[in-house]
Amino acid sequence: MDVKLTINGEEKSASVPPETTLLRLLREEFNLTGAKIGCDVGDCGACTVIVDGIATNSCLMLAGQVQGRSIETIEGLANMDDYHPLQKNFEDLGSLQCGFCGPGIILSAKQLLDDNPDPNKEEIQDALAGNLCRCTGYTKIVEAVADAAREMRGNREAA
Amino acid sequence: MKPFDFVKPDDQEGVISALAAHSPRVRILAGGTDYLVELKHVSQSPGTIVDVSHLQELRGIEEVEDGLRIGAAVTHTEIMAHPLIEKHVPAMIHAAHTIGAVQTRNLGTLGGNLVTCVPSMDSGPTLVALEAKVTIAGPGGSRCIPLTDFFVGPRKTILEPDELLINIVIPKCNLGKPTSFYKFGLRKGQALALVNAASSLWVKGGKFKDVKISLGAVAPVVIRCPKAEASLEGLPISQDVIQEAGRIAVTEAKPIGDFRASLEYRNDLIEVLTRRTLNSAIQTANQS
Repeated sequence: MDVKLTINGEEKSASVPPETTLLRLLREEFNLTGAKIGCDVGDCGACTVIVDGIATNSCLMLAGQVQGRSIETIEGLANMDDYHPLQKNFEDLGSLQCGFCGPGIILSAKQLLDDNPDPNKEEIQDALAGNLCRCTGYTKIVEAVADAAREMRGNREAA
Repeated sequence: MKPFDFVKPDDQEGVISALAAHSPRVRILAGGTDYLVELKHVSQSPGTIVDVSHLQELRGIEEVEDGLRIGAAVTHTEIMAHPLIEKHVPAMIHAAHTIGAVQTRNLGTLGGNLVTCVPSMDSGPTLVALEAKVTIAGPGGSRCIPLTDFFVGPRKTILEPDELLINIVIPKCNLGKPTSFYKFGLRKGQALALVNAASSLWVKGGKFKDVKISLGAVAPVVIRCPKAEASLEGLPISQDVIQEAGRIAVTEAKPIGDFRASLEYRNDLIEVLTRRTLNSAIQTANQS
């Protein structure tokens, strides 16, 4: 089947079998390997991407379901000049060790901050409940999201 | 995944004819949070997959003459944020919030949760306690049946391969009825219920009225507890009768013991959750 979609603001198309998941489409057709193949059944969140503004498990969507939709992946977050505040704060605090869960966690956090610029600790934990981290632990991750939220609110006020 | 054909009809009629054309080797795909997982493990192709997640007919939440109608493809996240749900059936917000995690709630649908029909489904008890009905469409037209008749067994509903769940209707008489849902899982996120429960009731002159108690994960399907309900009907509210209702509810369930929890533990949970949901619904009733 032919699939046309927008990825990180660019229109893309590919011809793939119907059994292709969005995750495989991103990784194998477009070489966007930031979204990771972890459990591949919707438990770990390593494949999280944002589809039309909503964080989803890309392993649980078929290519045919993303026809015409807009996808944001971790590759679209930074530009040549600067990291996204989430990425910067994760780096500053050492919130990632191996980094495998990072793209998914950062995108889940991005959707949270897009919807709620001033989340409390419980809201951050709830937003990240579908993302497993097996080495860093969650304390620094939650702190980095809170710091990024603060920084982004400051940037908005300054602007 | 084994190769399959994928079709995405434009409307409900298109779905019904696609189902008829490909039955019995056809499956409906909505949120996919359960079915795609299954599909990754099966050795045989399902034949044709009919995507219904985008259909407008299955997506709205609106007040109709009979009550509150919720489209089968409404996601759990949409339920959590919808003003009509908050106004009429706030217990559904809490129930939806206990499902999976953000990403799965963003994809997963209310209809899908019911059709998948696992005994621990978190949408079931609240809807059963509110005497919800479901509308099913097929080649011969549509029909509306009580949700309790929809469930047949673990992963088995009354749906024929050429039929589609269209919507869920909460009857008008139960909109605003004090209702409480409680799930006991081992973690907050991504956990299946060891037991879940919901109670709905009115309090009239300090007495129980129209008590409905529903339990999940303690029988092949989500159940009602008619004996426990009857034991409370018309009685003045007291902790004694609530405790007794919890003990009766245990006799109406048939839980299994498995790696998640032993039978004895589940029986204890039934008593506790029956009490908690009753007390919480009473509290809601007294506040309104």
